[in-house]
Amino acid sequence: MTFSFRDKQLIPIWRKLQHGERLSLEDGLVLFKTNDIIALGKMANFVQQQKSGYAVYFVLNQKIEHTNVCVLSCKFCDFAKKKGEPDAYEMTTENILAHITPEIREVHITGGMPPDWKWERYLDIVRKIHEKFPEADVKAYTAVEIDFFHKKFKLSIEEVLKQLQSAGLRTMPGGGAEIFTERVRKLLFPQKIGAKGYLEVHKTAHKLGIPTNCTMLYGHIETLEERLIHMIKLREAQDETGGFLSFIPLAFQPGDTGISVGDGSASGGKSHRQFTSAIDDLKTIAVSRLMLDNISHIKAYWVMLTEEVASVALNFGADDIDGTVGQERIAHDAGAVSPMKLAKDQIIKIIKDAGKIPVERDAFYNPLNVYSENVIGKIPYLNSVPFYHNREKSAAGGFKILPVAPRRMGMLSKQGQLDAGLFSLMDYFEQEESLELLPWCIATRDQVKSVMLFSKEGWAGLNGKKIGITDETATSVQLLSVLLENKYRVQVIPERLHPGVNDYSMFDAVLLIGDEALKHNKIGLNGFELVFDLAKEWYDWQKLPFVFAVWACRKALSGERREELKEMISTSLEKSEVNLGIIGYSHGKKIGLTKNETKEYLEGFNYRLGEQERKAMMQFRKLLEQKEIKI
Amino acid sequence: MKLLDIIEEVKIGKRINREEGLSLLQKVELLDFGELANEIRYRKNPKQQVTFVVDTNPNYTNICNIDCIFCAFYRHPGEAGEYTYSVDEMIRNFKTAAANGVTTVLLQGGVNPALPFDYYLELVKRTIEEVPEVHPHFFSTSEIIGMSQASEFTIQEVLRKLWDAGLRTIPGGGAEILSDRVKKKISHLKGTSDDWLNVMLEAHKIGYKTTATMMYGHLETDEDIIEHLEVIRQLQDEYHGFTAFIPWSFKPGNTPLHKIIPTYASSTRYLQILALSRIYLDNFDHIQASWFSEGKKIGQVALHFGADDFGGTLYEENVHAEADFVNKTTVAEVIQLIQDSGFTPVQRDTLYNTLKIFEKAEAM
Repeated sequence: MTFSFRDKQLIPIWRKLQHGERLSLEDGLVLFKTNDIIALGKMANFVQQQKSGYAVYFVLNQKIEHTNVCVLSCKFCDFAKKKGEPDAYEMTTENILAHITPEIREVHITGGMPPDWKWERYLDIVRKIHEKFPEADVKAYTAVEIDFFHKKFKLSIEEVLKQLQSAGLRTMPGGGAEIFTERVRKLLFPQKIGAKGYLEVHKTAHKLGIPTNCTMLYGHIETLEERLIHMIKLREAQDETGGFLSFIPLAFQPGDTGISVGDGSASGGKSHRQFTSAIDDLKTIAVSRLMLDNISHIKAYWVMLTEEVASVALNFGADDIDGTVGQERIAHDAGAVSPMKLAKDQIIKIIKDAGKIPVERDAFYNPLNVYSENVIGKIPYLNSVPFYHNREKSAAGGFKILPVAPRRMGMLSKQGQLDAGLFSLMDYFEQEESLELLPWCIATRDQVKSVMLFSKEGWAGLNGKKIGITDETATSVQLLSVLLENKYRVQVIPERLHPGVNDYSMFDAVLLIGDEALKHNKIGLNGFELVFDLAKEWYDWQKLPFVFAVWACRKALSGERREELKEMISTSLEKSEVNLGIIGYSHGKKIGLTKNETKEYLEGFNYRLGEQERKAMMQFRKLLEQKEIKI
Repeated sequence: MKLLDIIEEVKIGKRINREEGLSLLQKVELLDFGELANEIRYRKNPKQQVTFVVDTNPNYTNICNIDCIFCAFYRHPGEAGEYTYSVDEMIRNFKTAAANGVTTVLLQGGVNPALPFDYYLELVKRTIEEVPEVHPHFFSTSEIIGMSQASEFTIQEVLRKLWDAGLRTIPGGGAEILSDRVKKKISHLKGTSDDWLNVMLEAHKIGYKTTATMMYGHLETDEDIIEHLEVIRQLQDEYHGFTAFIPWSFKPGNTPLHKIIPTYASSTRYLQILALSRIYLDNFDHIQASWFSEGKKIGQVALHFGADDFGGTLYEENVHAEADFVNKTTVAEVIQLIQDSGFTPVQRDTLYNTLKIFEKAEAM
């Protein structure tokens, strides 16, 4: 990878990014004002690749706008109608259900705010969709609508969300954020809730285990500073709750909206109504990727950006392209092929054209299908970094790296969609017939610091208690189960944790792994006094290392590819091992570790599958087979 | 050679060969392509400026006997919708365009065998005399070959007579992909690659300036694209007669080729090919972005991938319109599009002389 800057002002920012440092508002302004959009894009692409590798996500989704009747009158909106106006419409729950097909994985519901709907009607929409299409995650109602329900039906925001959640709501859309400054709010949408209201609704949702998206409407009267203030407010909220799944910059669509773009705006003093420029679209995507260091995904919403710009945006920091949206708009007499299939094929093409891996996801960004050859799974935790350090080599071998939580990696491998990966031990056991073991692993010597049980009680006191367990891997969960049953002889009630949510107060203990565990091992986890390192528990008991993950490839992989893969892994590991503190530095920094702590952590692993490790694998398997109760 | 070594070669200004070009096209990631193309773009044209021309693309006839399967524009003689305009009608057309600020008329036909050679000479002469505000940028290579066939003059004689009538530049359309294997499939009557190259060679010898084009996104391979760039680079080495290179992607609407190639080539592919041509064609002064065929937004992005020209404002356009691909703009919009992309717009003439610099308004 080459890197040259036409705009030298970008160099200090690039240094910050390489060290995993957070960017300031001033940095953001330099980025927005640069003419060197190639360098800007490359920086954003670098950060995107650190987070998602080559993956670009999409979802088979259906957008439902249940009504356009609205009591508000926002200047930028040409969707809303007043009740009784000729184009006004209101859908019944039955109408809505008729729009959903069984292949849909996410239903996105937003609409106007009609004066006379009953609360039950909103709940009914969510409930019926959830009942009739359990495979489809319901993503419903923007913060503005939630606030409207709260005021109209005299329920607290928390109560509104709780009732929706028990009706089947899984996530919330991010619409209604617009631009978080009072100046813009007063001018364009004085009736809307503003930054405080928006963030309050979202943070409340996060605490209840409802992850949400967040948005920004740009390209109207806002200044560049106002865009950055907006992003920084979202970044601060995310620091608190961690519940934002993705950020979606939405380009203002001129039309019959009553807004003309005025002087002093970021869009540059246009006197007439105009669409944002492609350069502004790409810059906004890239800058948001760089500013929002704590939000996992940036979405290029293709319906608004156009397919062409969205495809280019996938190299400017975006790793999500939304989905089929129910816009089966591709006019094509393709006989028996369904419109959904066409829309899906088109999206896959847009992503492949950009040189990325199309990954079909659910509402929580769990990968469901991967549509590409030569894909290698990567555990997205600090401890796997030594294996993937040598990016030059992996590109040369033509392998594409897909960061994916261990359990999902196992599922994708089962579907035959991965060539190789660093597999969670349980997945390797399960797929031993089709996978070939390679001589590398992640094994602990004595303690691990990243597979931790945070508990309110000692081991004995956990009997009959509720334990939140990570959704990300099976191995740690089985290790816990072996320890509980065979070592401590206690029984617990396990419950899976929602991804992206970190309020654990309802549990008596939680099992966390990876970066999340590592972070809390250092700073503690509020309310959980006792901390158990599962690898240490195992070591004290068995006097053996514990193997959490092993490298394996498909048995069907050709000899030549296998050799390329082995060379990639071994060169990367050799280069990394002499420099563990440095290669892990920026990743470690993100979870709050110093260079020495990172080094010490990484040195605590054995990356080569030796005799002791093989013995440990066998011993663990034996214990699992003897076990009566499976979690 | 390793990719990184090729990249280093390009950076120090060394010419790359076919193999190296192919390696870049197939292996370089999009933004690395952009970075590399910009190195060369700013070396050749260090100013943060982008040129454009106020032009029009009328057609004097849609009758054509070449039957290219990528074309939705042509009609056979006697077919419904066929037309051929008289010289008078064309002059009126040019006058209207000139009154609207047009400085370049890019005129092309069909290849209508019924038109006498004098028609073409008269068209050139009268344009120069009666509409001096516009520069005639007339007749593709196919039409010139057609004139030669219909008149018994050699290509050289046809070009000499048009020169004497006052024609000085010729558009570079009709190159499609300079691969006879592909040409046989998509335009078997249009002649070989050598025919196109030969007209260009003869024209450059006389002193004509022309553009060179490439239409990709149909049946060509990566190797064909490299070959295309290679042969026009070789020709350019001899007479330096090409002013600019203009790649664009095939638009399948309403064409027989639609059955085989139903979709547009992607914008990423366009930007890669644009950047590659900036890198490969080291003896070309300008690379043109095609807002018209790729869309305004991608046209803007193209200015960051090696292009230093935004093409024409296209007061009138019929060929793509027949493929249901309609894209319109105004001079004011082109200026705004270039400014929004971070460049100072410069209005030029057909020969890339500066006519007017639009200094950036106070913005941001």
